[in-house]
Amino acid sequence: MAAADQAHYDGCLECKARFTRIAGEAGATGTLLAVPAFDADPAAALVLVQARIQRDEAARPPRWYERWIDRRTPRLRPLATPAIAVLLAAVLISGVAVTGLGGQLLRVFEPTRLVAVPVSPSSFPSSDVLLDYGQVKWLPAAPTAQPVADAATAHQLSGLPILVPASLPNGVSGPVTYGVVSHATGSLTFDAARLNASAVKAGVRVGPMPAAINGSTLVVNGGPALLEAWGLSGSSSQLQVPTLVIAQTRVPTVDSSGATTAQLEDYLLSQPGVPPDLAAQIKAVKDPSTTLPIPIPKGFATTETKTINGVQYLIIKAALGAGAVWVKDGVIYAVGGQLTPDQVLAIATSLH
Amino acid sequence: MLHAEAWRPTVIRAPLNAISRRSPDPFERLFLQEYPKVVAIAYRVLADRPAAEDVAQEVFLKFHRSFSPDSERASGWLHAAAVHSALNVIRGERRRAQRETTHALDPSQPPEANPELLVEAADQRRQVRRALRRLPERTAAVLMLRYSGLSYAEVATALRIRVGNVGTLLRRAEDALRKEVNRATSS
Repeated sequence: MAAADQAHYDGCLECKARFTRIAGEAGATGTLLAVPAFDADPAAALVLVQARIQRDEAARPPRWYERWIDRRTPRLRPLATPAIAVLLAAVLISGVAVTGLGGQLLRVFEPTRLVAVPVSPSSFPSSDVLLDYGQVKWLPAAPTAQPVADAATAHQLSGLPILVPASLPNGVSGPVTYGVVSHATGSLTFDAARLNASAVKAGVRVGPMPAAINGSTLVVNGGPALLEAWGLSGSSSQLQVPTLVIAQTRVPTVDSSGATTAQLEDYLLSQPGVPPDLAAQIKAVKDPSTTLPIPIPKGFATTETKTINGVQYLIIKAALGAGAVWVKDGVIYAVGGQLTPDQVLAIATSLH
Repeated sequence: MLHAEAWRPTVIRAPLNAISRRSPDPFERLFLQEYPKVVAIAYRVLADRPAAEDVAQEVFLKFHRSFSPDSERASGWLHAAAVHSALNVIRGERRRAQRETTHALDPSQPPEANPELLVEAADQRRQVRRALRRLPERTAAVLMLRYSGLSYAEVATALRIRVGNVGTLLRRAEDALRKEVNRATSS
C-alpha cells in the first residue's frame, strides 16, 4: 500500500471496517474450501506423463509422409523398401540422358529445375520388405547428420551461407536450431545374385535384372546440406513439427558406368511397389537430365509454379502448411512450415 | 543412389530429432515449474488427490499435443485448463458419485484423528463441491484459482480478464459460494 493510501487507511474507520469485513469473508471462504495437505511430486508425475506421451505416440497411426519414409528404416542401409528405394532411384536416374559407356563415368544427372509429380500415397504398399540391389560403398564415408550449436559452426561445417528472411511472420519465433548433413559420395554396383537372394528371403517376386545393369555402377554425389528450423521445443518425446524450416543443399549428381539411361529407367520403374502412374509421369519428364521430380501426394497437397526475378518457385500447398522449393546456381533451396503459401513465398524471395 | 537420401526428408528428420534431444527440455522445465500449481488447482476443486493427479496429467498431455512449451501463454493456459477440467469433473454426475463414495473420508488423515471430525469435514467438502457445481463457470473458476494460491495477475492471465476486475469478481464469487453452501445446508 502506498504511503498516502496507508495514511488514509490508518485514519479511516470506514475503510478499516470494510477491510475487516472482506478479510472475514475471505477467511470464511478459505475455511469452506480447505482441503487436507497434499505435497505434489512433480518428478514422479513427469515420469508418468512422459510414459503416456510415448504410448500415445507409439499408438498413433503413421502420417502419410512417414509411410513414405519408413520411420524405422535406418537411412543408410542398402536400399529401403522397394517402393521407397525405387522411387528414390527413379528420381535420381530419371535424368539419365546420356548413354553410359562401359568403364567410363558420365555425368548423367544434375538438376537445374524442378517438376511436381503427383502420386497417390495409397498406391504405395506398406510393406517392410528389404531388397538388396547390390554393393553400396561410401567414398570415404557415409554422410552424417548432426545438430549444430550455432550459425557460425553451421556455416563452417556446411560451407553454405546462413539464410535469413527479411522478416518472420506471426507465429514464427524463438531461437533457430541448425542441422548439417555432410557432403559424401556413394556408389551402388548392381548385383543380380544379391537381389535375387534378398527377394527369396523376403518372399517377393522380382523380374530378372538385365545383363546390362547387372554389374554396372551408379555414383551419387550429394550434400552438404544445411537446415535452419524455428519452433522446435526441444522435447525428446514428441515428433517435432517446426513452424519454419529453411533448407539448402548443393544439387546431387549421378554418374553412371555401364547401363544406359533407358535401361536404368525401364528397370527401376518396373520394380515391385512402383505405381504405374508414377512411372509414366517420370518417363514423361521432358528434360530428365536436368529435372528433379518432386513427388506430391495426391489429396494432401497441391502445387503451382511462380517465376519471380527469373527464378521458378514450386509452391506446395497442404492443409497444415505450405512450402516452396527452387533451384538456383547449383543449390536446391526449400522453405516450409505452418504458414500460408504467400508467407512462404515472401520468405523464399527475401532470403539473404 | 543412397546418397540421394542426403537431401530427402529422411535425413532432414534426423537432425531435427537430434536437435530436439538437447537439454534442458523446455517441456520438462515447464512441467516441473507448473505441475505443483496445476495439481493444486485441480485438488482444490476436487478435494481428491488421485482425481486431481489424473486431471493434471490430462491437462499436460493436452498441452503437449497442441502447444509449444515456449509459448508466453503456457502458464495461463495450464491454469485455466486445470480449473475448467476439474470443474467439469465435479459436474459429471457418475464420476462424482463414485468419487464421493470412495473419498468420503480422507485417507491421508492419521488413523488416530477424531472419526467424527473426519466425517464432518468430508461432509462439508461434499457440500462445497455441490455448491461449486451450481456456480457459474467463471465465478467458480476465479474462486478456485485464487484459493489455490494464484496471484491476482495469474488469475487474470488464466481467465483473460483485467487484473483490476479480479478483486470484484472474487468478492462476488465468495458471496455466491457462501449462499449456495448455506442454501444446501438449510435445505
